[in-house]
Amino acid sequence: MPNLSRRDVLKLASNGLLGLSGLLGLGALFRFLSYQPAPPPPKRFEVGDQSLYLPNSRTVITAIPAVLIRIDQDFTAFSLVCTHLGCTVELKPGEFTCPCHGSRYDLHTGAVKQGPASKALQPLKVEVEASGLVVIFKG
Amino acid sequence: MQRSSITARRFLFGGFALVFISLLLSGWVMQPSAGPAFSANKGETPEPTESREPIPTSIAANLDKPVLPENPTLADKGAQVFWWYCMACHGNKGQGLTDEWRESAFGEDMNCWVSRCHASNHPPEGFEFPRQVPQVIGANTLRRFTTAADLKEYLKATMPWWAPGLLTEDESWQLTAFLLRENGSLLPGDDFDPQNAASVPVHLLVKSKSADTGFAYILAGALGLAILTILAGNSLKGEPVTESPRTGPRPSFFHHLHPPTIPLPQARWRYTLGAGGLAVFLSVVLVITGVLEMFFYIPTPDQAGMSIQTITFEVPFGALVRGIHFWAAQALVVVLVIHLVRVIFTGAFVPPRRFNYILGIILLVLTLLMNFTGYVLRWDEGIRWALVVGTNLLNTIPLVGEQIYGFVVGGASPGLATLTRFYAWHIFGLTLAIAFLIGWHIFRVRRDGGIAAPIPELRPDPSRITRFELVRREVLAMLLATFALILAGLFLPAPLSAPIFDASAGAPLQDVRAPWFFLWVQQLLRFGDAFWLGVFVPLALVAVFVAIPYLFPRIPEEQKGRWFPRAGLAAQIITAVAILGWLALTILELLR
Repeated sequence: MPNLSRRDVLKLASNGLLGLSGLLGLGALFRFLSYQPAPPPPKRFEVGDQSLYLPNSRTVITAIPAVLIRIDQDFTAFSLVCTHLGCTVELKPGEFTCPCHGSRYDLHTGAVKQGPASKALQPLKVEVEASGLVVIFKG
Repeated sequence: MQRSSITARRFLFGGFALVFISLLLSGWVMQPSAGPAFSANKGETPEPTESREPIPTSIAANLDKPVLPENPTLADKGAQVFWWYCMACHGNKGQGLTDEWRESAFGEDMNCWVSRCHASNHPPEGFEFPRQVPQVIGANTLRRFTTAADLKEYLKATMPWWAPGLLTEDESWQLTAFLLRENGSLLPGDDFDPQNAASVPVHLLVKSKSADTGFAYILAGALGLAILTILAGNSLKGEPVTESPRTGPRPSFFHHLHPPTIPLPQARWRYTLGAGGLAVFLSVVLVITGVLEMFFYIPTPDQAGMSIQTITFEVPFGALVRGIHFWAAQALVVVLVIHLVRVIFTGAFVPPRRFNYILGIILLVLTLLMNFTGYVLRWDEGIRWALVVGTNLLNTIPLVGEQIYGFVVGGASPGLATLTRFYAWHIFGLTLAIAFLIGWHIFRVRRDGGIAAPIPELRPDPSRITRFELVRREVLAMLLATFALILAGLFLPAPLSAPIFDASAGAPLQDVRAPWFFLWVQQLLRFGDAFWLGVFVPLALVAVFVAIPYLFPRIPEEQKGRWFPRAGLAAQIITAVAILGWLALTILELLR
């Protein structure tokens, strides 16, 4: 066992304590910078009564953004956020295209027709409440 | 005596409330033609439950005394206090004295504004209803209050309006908690500790005591212990070296900051007071904490005040960061004045250090501007009148005053442009100038041959210390300063009052004091003409300090490097008079 003088012990202690306070300070800094003042975006979107949407129609809802598809009485929806890097895809004749990098998606299924995106547009949960209100859930 | 009469009055008003409610419920509700609500019940205090007749449940729910739950919180108790004292004027939902409330509560008497008309034994003991009663629950209410402590103080001092001071300490806290809960700041079932009321926000969600506070105490403790072990280890005592500096390779900028060795007598605390180094360190702290505040500060009139409240009450360690920024800024003014006094009292202002002395004066003036702009960025009621007065002083300058005012304020009166401009000056314009001048100032210290000292042949003590020893001393000073700032930031909250919502509206004068470093100007302004006393005298004072090294340019070599050289006596006296005058004016204004 090495022979530690009083001076060495104190030096070790002060270095250790300084290191500890530095680490604690970094932790505090991390907590400070992690705070997010903006509330999280909503996850539930009420998009009005089902009678607003004609059978066999496709409606783009820009606030989400999503496309709401009604086939007879069945509602489905998928997100219009490009799975590549997050731009909003545009409705073009016969397909959705991404203006940023040119990904193309199938109009009916959201499947990728052309890259660079590799995943289909994300399907969203849709519920029709007893009152007829259509609700789309995001995330 | 006093106490018992207050108790009696409370009882009386309590009786009034009971009678009032019971009559309300049993009397005019069912028989709209009944006479004035109170006239039949002078002095009586029947139990409302006994005299009650069947009544519509909606009114009962509105006007019944709130029932305490099993384990009542402060807010639950406050609901009863509100019902007892406040409801008559402020309404059952805190809506204020609206027509609807007057109608539902007083029926036929709703238009009775006669003096002392209300109470169980009116007149003569009754009270008068004010015409205007503010809403106290709902959006945009209670805007003049920032913390629970503010709200409680106001309630305690001014409410109920017909008998201020009637509320006990406990009732004031309960009422405060109730108002916080009803306004959505306090979650139902939550409570706050009146001990921490100064850090409990009125307009943001009250957080239960977070782990961050404990974390900050541990940080402060670790730092304090580290300083103790350093002091105990004596590891700061270097060996003085006697050799003079060797001429080595061409010195870099960093050699100018810290040459290989410096004279020991001039490195002592009792000579330098550590003021220059401390000022540099505080400036660094201000830049770091200032940048951190910029992550959350929003420099627009409608958001600035609330964003500072977010930093202070919501962001983890936000109050600490803001507290350190505030206290470092205040300390910097003090440290700079000490630095100036040290330089003059040790005769260090004469050539070749005259130029650097002038740089220092410029830095002091810029720092005061920096402090004033930073103070204005709070954009709360506390700064409002200092901003108005400070900028109007510019208007008094002959010929160019209006141009300067427009340049500073960016409009005919303080507003959006003012805040934007002060923000730009604070975080960029002044910061850039100060950073540049600090670098030049430190560089010039070395170029002028270090801190003032006699030529080597005349030195009583030829010892020198190495740059490593110098750095060790500086580190210790920085650690001590950091520790002190953390303690101040933790235990002395930086001031903050209600945000300014309309800069052009004449608001109640909540705080008309200048920031403390300009209190002396505020006192001077009481004596007479605004331009001469508010602009000319402060500028003349700066001119006097600039003139000192030109008026007294010579100190003999052997008198250099120590306190109070005889040759600098006149300069010392002028400085002492100026500083004492400054202190006296400040104290006079403070005592007002």
